[in-house]
Amino acid sequence: MPAQKITLEFNDKVVRQFLVATLVWGIVGMLVGVLVAAQLSFWRLNFKSEYLTFGRLRPLHTNAVIFAFVGNMMFAGIYYSTQRLVRARLASNFLSQLHFWGWQTIILSAAITLPLGLTRGKEYAELIWPINIAVAFIWVVFGVNFFWTLARRREPSLYVAIWFYIATIITVAMLYIVNHLSLPTSFTHSYPVFGGVQDALVQWWYGHNAVAFFLTTPILGIMYYFIPKAVERPVYSYRLSVIHFWSLVFVYIWAGPHHLLNTSLPEWLQTLGVTFSLMLWAPSWGGMLNGLLTMRGAWHKLRTDPVLKFFAAAVTFYGMATFEGPLLSIKSVNALAHYTDWIIGHVHAGALGWNGFMAAGMIYWLVPRLWNKPLHSTALANLHFWLGTVGILLYVAAMWTSGITQGLMLNATIEQGTVLAYPNFLDTLNTIRPMMLMRVIGGGLYLVGFMLMAWNVYRTVRHARPVNGSIEVFADEEVGVEAHPLSNARLGVLGTFFNPPVAFSVLGFGFACAWMFGGDAMSLAGLVGLMLSVVLACVHFESKGKSWSGWYERLLVNVAPFTILTVIAVFAGGLIQIIPTVLTSRASNLEDRKQRPYTPLELAGRDLYIREGCYTCHSQMIRTLVPDVLRYGDYSRLGESIYDYPYQWGSKRNGPDLARVGNKYPNVWHLRHMEDPRSISAGSNMPSYASMLVNKTDLAALPSKLAVQRKLGVPYPNWTPEQIERRAKEQAETVARDLREAGALVSPDKEIVAMIAYLQTLGRSEFAVAPVGPAAVARLLP
Amino acid sequence: MFKRLIFEQSAALFTVSAFLTAASIYLSIAWRALRMKRPQIERFENLPFQTATPAARHDSSPAPSA
Repeated sequence: MPAQKITLEFNDKVVRQFLVATLVWGIVGMLVGVLVAAQLSFWRLNFKSEYLTFGRLRPLHTNAVIFAFVGNMMFAGIYYSTQRLVRARLASNFLSQLHFWGWQTIILSAAITLPLGLTRGKEYAELIWPINIAVAFIWVVFGVNFFWTLARRREPSLYVAIWFYIATIITVAMLYIVNHLSLPTSFTHSYPVFGGVQDALVQWWYGHNAVAFFLTTPILGIMYYFIPKAVERPVYSYRLSVIHFWSLVFVYIWAGPHHLLNTSLPEWLQTLGVTFSLMLWAPSWGGMLNGLLTMRGAWHKLRTDPVLKFFAAAVTFYGMATFEGPLLSIKSVNALAHYTDWIIGHVHAGALGWNGFMAAGMIYWLVPRLWNKPLHSTALANLHFWLGTVGILLYVAAMWTSGITQGLMLNATIEQGTVLAYPNFLDTLNTIRPMMLMRVIGGGLYLVGFMLMAWNVYRTVRHARPVNGSIEVFADEEVGVEAHPLSNARLGVLGTFFNPPVAFSVLGFGFACAWMFGGDAMSLAGLVGLMLSVVLACVHFESKGKSWSGWYERLLVNVAPFTILTVIAVFAGGLIQIIPTVLTSRASNLEDRKQRPYTPLELAGRDLYIREGCYTCHSQMIRTLVPDVLRYGDYSRLGESIYDYPYQWGSKRNGPDLARVGNKYPNVWHLRHMEDPRSISAGSNMPSYASMLVNKTDLAALPSKLAVQRKLGVPYPNWTPEQIERRAKEQAETVARDLREAGALVSPDKEIVAMIAYLQTLGRSEFAVAPVGPAAVARLLP
Repeated sequence: MFKRLIFEQSAALFTVSAFLTAASIYLSIAWRALRMKRPQIERFENLPFQTATPAARHDSSPAPSA
């Protein structure tokens, strides 16, 4: 009897929901972006509200664009393409809805808490710990729904887009959890478990790979599905897509330290970051060319089809941004560009050009299909494209010019390199003001274009009937890969690990660890073992190469083993960077200088500094560069931030570095500066923090904060809550008295007093006892 | 190795070994990908077209089903 066919309907409802959320949150995120960009030119644009300052809104902008706009777009694209690639409906309607509503609740929570100043003080990881837990939970829901769908698939082979999605789900989970490990001090506040250099390294391992695995790999998966569909021809080279995937996964995870070049980060880590960043050129451009060449033979459609216009421009911007990234990772280029607007331009070429245009192309392709209605206006979509393109070009060109100008001015010296050519930081700020204005115009144009798309979509779907895609499958066709003819290709747990490639890799990795972390004898044994493993692997491959390739073939149709090996690939890169630093970053290992623990009042001030997002404009890291040292003082040592939970090295200087601002100015200078920055620094664009002269310092929170700091290893005595409060009040009285003598009447219980106490301690450290060893002795010799 | 925080010159070896590891993996994958057979590639690259897509419904130029 011939098999009967039935119709299987896809769950496109959740795709439509994520798609609409993309539009809504995209507008919110970009609107806040334009506002914060305008605030840099017009400081009054915070409307005298402490909730709308640059320091509080900038994290809202970045989080909204990354997690709300790109996140929702990514989920829509993944859910749409996965169902069709594996020929199965999403496994669970409930999980799909939980995923959607959970994610929107998280975004809403972020939009409320960030302006309130509830933050962890780490870039792109600002959300407070209860929201972190919610993010992890919803991500797991997403993962379960996705892998459950794969388990029920009717198509055994995994298209390369699915590979990229798997890498995204696994790696983002790992990065997010590690970088958000915290010890709470209250329901809305916590300290990260990593401090100082550990925190810096973990943060940029996360930060860089958030770009890699949240903003890049899922979008590449979307590219490999939607561009072939849009041009109606297969990807240009499937071989290249395979190389693209594995090389990105293996290489990207190592490149995080390039965000910390010329700082006090150990040299080997900086070199590691530079090396792997440069290696990224090859896979990134391979993928970019693969995307562009997929459109071969369809270039004529670009004149009329807005979908292809957006895709072609998006892939081009991907190429541009991934050329610029490794370029900026070269230490000498980085010395010029780091902390300037060049980095902002680079990021926005990727976010607006690559992510934003891929989102637009995907939305214009999907909407007519999900609502079964022609797009309201192709002309409007074309206008959107040109507004967006001109907007990006204005934005990026302005930021390049601004960044290079400011970098050159800040680094310029005279008198044979002994004197700064522009000693006043504000000279450089006022020079780049026209570019900052240009950036607002460029961003504004992009936002207008995006709003046109939202309007276009609204007009398209108004009165339209949503439709779900469907396929015909055999009624008696069993669900799951085991039912497929290729079921004999299953690997199983044993087959995943007990095979030549994995066995030799694990062996080599184990010996490498022994070599690097072991004692003298163990280290030697590890080195010999590693060399033997490599030789044996080569010999085995030469003699039994077929078993190696057979294993790889089976890997391509087995989700679990494929996922496990992807985890190992990204895990290795992360662990090798982080573990040595976590193990060695202790006070007993320090040489030269060691930070003094903050007094209770200084700690309260530091938390205010973090609350206000001061790190979004001020770094606390004087690089090992002559102009930095001439401008800000002696270069920063690792030990000087060893008790900083979280670290505050910063990544952008809209204002000067503050690593050694302590005791540089009298207390009253800080008070006047915070109250009205322009009364002290004419031309400053810093917002006023007059509210700190009114609000009271939360001393009641200090005992639990100090208790957590003690758990983290900060050597505080076992003070009672009364002792902590008394110490804080005594110090506050001293600061307030000094202010009074200088003519400023401020009550000691005000936030400004704690903030001044913190600022005045920056850069004050004590000498550490040098450990005994050949390197230490050699360093003491002339 | 890695007993102290700042002055560990021998740690530079680590960068070299990491580079060699990544490079060898990259070359292995590239070699494997280049040796993929044509039928296998055709099967993979046509996976997006196994599920029919409704017609492109742009108002100017409706395209045929894929």
